[in-house]
Amino acid sequence: MDTTRSAFNVLADERSEKADKLHRLFLEMGVNFVSGVPCGVLRHIIKNFNDDGTILHIPANRESEAVGLSAGAYLAGKTPVIYMQNSGLFAASNDIASLLVPYAIPIFFTVSYRGCTGEDAVQHLTTGRATEPLLKSFGLSFVVFEGHNIDILVRSMFEEMHKVKLPIFLLLKRGWQK
Amino acid sequence: MKRKEAIETIMTTIEPCDVVVSTTGLISREIFEKFDSDRNIYVTGSMGLSSSIGLGLAVSLTNKMVVVIDGDASVLMNLGSIVTIGNKRPKNLLHIVIDNSAYGSCSEEESMSGSANLDRLTTDVGYRYIQIVSSQEDLKYAIMMFRKGPGFILAKIELGGRRDFKRPLNLVEIKNRFMLFLTPTVRGEQL
Repeated sequence: MDTTRSAFNVLADERSEKADKLHRLFLEMGVNFVSGVPCGVLRHIIKNFNDDGTILHIPANRESEAVGLSAGAYLAGKTPVIYMQNSGLFAASNDIASLLVPYAIPIFFTVSYRGCTGEDAVQHLTTGRATEPLLKSFGLSFVVFEGHNIDILVRSMFEEMHKVKLPIFLLLKRGWQK
Repeated sequence: MKRKEAIETIMTTIEPCDVVVSTTGLISREIFEKFDSDRNIYVTGSMGLSSSIGLGLAVSLTNKMVVVIDGDASVLMNLGSIVTIGNKRPKNLLHIVIDNSAYGSCSEEESMSGSANLDRLTTDVGYRYIQIVSSQEDLKYAIMMFRKGPGFILAKIELGGRRDFKRPLNLVEIKNRFMLFLTPTVRGEQL
């Protein structure tokens, strides 16, 4: 048995070309700080963050904390990414609305999108229905990933984010990485 | 000690190059009115996040001292943050909680800080320096003696104090000048 291997995060051992591509794009966009709360849908992305020594990864206990940590990192000159499940988007919604928006802090959010078509867990249905309306009501841009060209998509989202100086959201449904 | 005395002691004892992140409500408004400076960030909304913002700054700028001026109810609102701070153990973070055991910016409703044992909690999660003070002299001394963080100072104050401070409103300008203040550090010129 390889004792150097961490016992954590082994469920993300399988590779995803899309997640690897997304990671390379993040690096190209200058991302050097990440925070968030895990979701199984995002496991490949989180594993790549953990494995990359050029990125300062400060996990959070709750999504609000991730917003605060990343805002601090942004003020210090870093380019942060936040990851979370859409359930956490509701937990952090006031922090997005009352910290990131009025201070004009641009942060790229990678959010797993539970509670949409094919959902088997009832606890996700209400937040699933409300996810896009929430972001719309905040006046914030988002994209639901549906087999876009990931290269063009991520570049254009970062470009828009830096232009408008507001957070932007990439919503990833289960199985997005295949 | 009164709130104005605690704030005055903190703002006149820390170094001019230190960064300040202050919590929501009267604490930020009093600092804004009396000690406004490029080095300040006022957490006007998102109550509870000043320590998270401070940690994000501290781990990103390890050569800069970050002073978080929190309140008792706001630290309790985001208590997981002290676990994250204790886990990352930034040497350059001083977390001061101004404790009136109340939601002082609301109508002074009682908070739970009286039973929270914040000094023991911060010790247990890994802070390196913990002090409880209730006078200006002791607060000043506790700040001056701080060497290696994460540090935690619980500054006990009385209820009451002025409430008619102006509000920081131009947040984008406050952000821009704060980032400009940090620019030499970000470039590594002020090491």
